[in-house]
Amino acid sequence: MIYAEHLRKEFKKVVKDPGLKGSFKSLFKPKKEIVVAADDVSFHVPKGEMLGFIGPNGAGKSTVIKMLTGILTPTSGQCRINGKNPQTDRKKYVREIGVVFGQRTQLWWDLPLRETYSVLKEIYEVDDDRFKKRMAFLNEVLDLEDFMSSPVRTLSLGQRMRADIAASMLHSPKVLFLDEPTIGLDVVVKDNIRKAIMKINKEEQTTVILTTHDISDIELLCDRIVMIDKGKNVYEGSLRQLKEKYGNIRELNFETAPGFSLTEDEFRSGLELGEDKMTVEKDKNIFKVRFDSTEMPVGEMLNYTLSHAKVKDISFKEADVEEIIRRLYKQGECENE
Amino acid sequence: MNRIGKRYVPFMKAGVQTLIAYRLNFFGFVIGGLIYCIVMFYLWKAVYDSAGGDSFLGFTMTEMVVYLFLANTTTQLTYSTVSGDIGDEIKDGSISMRMIKPVDMDWSYLFTELGAAFMKVVVLLIPVTVGLEIYRYCMLGEVMFRPLNFLLYFLSVILAYIISFRVNLCFGFVAFYVKNLWGFNILKNSIINFLSGSLIPLAFMPDVMRTILEYMPFASMGYTPVMIYMGKYSAYETAFRLGIQIVWAAVMFGISKLIWIGAVKKLSVQGG
Ligand SMILES: Nc1ncnc2c1ncn2[C@@H]1O[C@H](COP(=O)(O)OP(=O)(O)O)[C@@H](O)[C@H]1O
Ligand SMILES: [Mg+2]
Repeated sequence: MIYAEHLRKEFKKVVKDPGLKGSFKSLFKPKKEIVVAADDVSFHVPKGEMLGFIGPNGAGKSTVIKMLTGILTPTSGQCRINGKNPQTDRKKYVREIGVVFGQRTQLWWDLPLRETYSVLKEIYEVDDDRFKKRMAFLNEVLDLEDFMSSPVRTLSLGQRMRADIAASMLHSPKVLFLDEPTIGLDVVVKDNIRKAIMKINKEEQTTVILTTHDISDIELLCDRIVMIDKGKNVYEGSLRQLKEKYGNIRELNFETAPGFSLTEDEFRSGLELGEDKMTVEKDKNIFKVRFDSTEMPVGEMLNYTLSHAKVKDISFKEADVEEIIRRLYKQGECENE
Repeated sequence: MNRIGKRYVPFMKAGVQTLIAYRLNFFGFVIGGLIYCIVMFYLWKAVYDSAGGDSFLGFTMTEMVVYLFLANTTTQLTYSTVSGDIGDEIKDGSISMRMIKPVDMDWSYLFTELGAAFMKVVVLLIPVTVGLEIYRYCMLGEVMFRPLNFLLYFLSVILAYIISFRVNLCFGFVAFYVKNLWGFNILKNSIINFLSGSLIPLAFMPDVMRTILEYMPFASMGYTPVMIYMGKYSAYETAFRLGIQIVWAAVMFGISKLIWIGAVKKLSVQGG
């Protein structure tokens, strides 16, 4: 379905020395620097799969998505989706895909939302009957009715994102590219959006590529992940495998009651977890503990904490992509030694 | 065809919406043009007064006034903002949103702009034409309006617009290679203004230069329609000039398509 082969993208960037002198210099003799945003990225996604495409900020995820959607032309390498080359068959190709860039909108800014959909209906040549059914479906999962008549520029971020997701699904695309579709959203909206994605994947075998920072997006939606960093492939497999390999990292946050004193070392002392299995940070009376829950189950950690500290507030959190990457490198360094 | 039309009409609607949102800009543009014409009017009046004769280089003062207002109106009618628009869309990255839709880039830009073009016909061309004809009637004591000339003028304006749009599209696609086009655009506009005769009638230029310029696309973008309106061309010459416009429209169409093929490989959009 989706084949990405040795994708590489270089950007030329003009670097400027600081100050007025630097500005002048770059005006007459621009110093160019090549930024490699994607470097030999390859992967394959079969039909109907939901792939989590993850990596830290600046890893090159958006660049790869832009190449896959025909916006950017790779410096070298190529991609084929549905047997089409996005660069050479752009017009035909984009008919079969839906795209959402979390930081942008494809809705018509000054038009009421409803009109954006009738515009898209014409652009994608969706017939009346299908359109009606589709809108009813999208309305149901994404709850658009309340702001259907509002101009897009007046929508809140959460409303806009739901509307954008709906716009990307209107023409029943075979492939959905979602670049950070849940960025900055609250839990309820995230949940709405995940449901819509899941439903469409189940009912229409839509292939989905999703980039995100939120591990729970991946956990709930994705069969498999591809991880890149600094433009290079670093991991491919299931999230479960990744966790088995690099530990299922949880983050414990707790605040000690006023007047109760506890140091990092005191907290550590009762546990037999090395530096690579647990890190403890303390800021005033707030503790942040990252630990491997395969070594120490969450329940045990909770008991331990409650019995060793007078706690005012406590919460557990799944580690984010950045944390997993950090672990990945730590482990890599250890293996190299 | 109907289907295709429907697919691009939304771009026109969006264009009109933007126009309405920025209507002050639009009217500023129109009024600025009229003020410019009035200033030029007094300038030329001084020239005619000091020359002392009825006619200056084949133009009477009345004709000069008609030329002045009509050339300015025509330039505004055929003026295309597409090169700047493309530059802006690249800078803010919104060009991505155009590219993920199953539409041709050139047609979608054309339709985005067409709304504004219709608007200009209504608020600019019609009032200016009526005004000029009243002026001519007052000065010459007879009705000078020739419906056929007006129709041919309108046809020629459409061709001029197509050429201007395509030329601007080419410049816009250059923004794919060069990031900041601001200075470049100003230079381009001044050159077009001068070479298209909207500043000074090409008829006032030395013969060799005039002949060359008349064959260049710039004259086709402004001078030709005005001369047709004023009845300065014979039937044969009118057909010939329209022919040249058609050739330039076709050539610029081809060139813009070619540049696009090269440019799209160079596109680099930032962010998200
Ligand atoms: N148009 C561009 N010009 C220059 N550098 C760019 C451009 N787009 C992206 N980059 C650089 O390429 C790298 C990858 O960016 P991006 O694909 O947006 O990463 P991600 O989406 O994973 O955060 C970054 O270092 C970014 O600064
Ligand atoms: Mg990104």
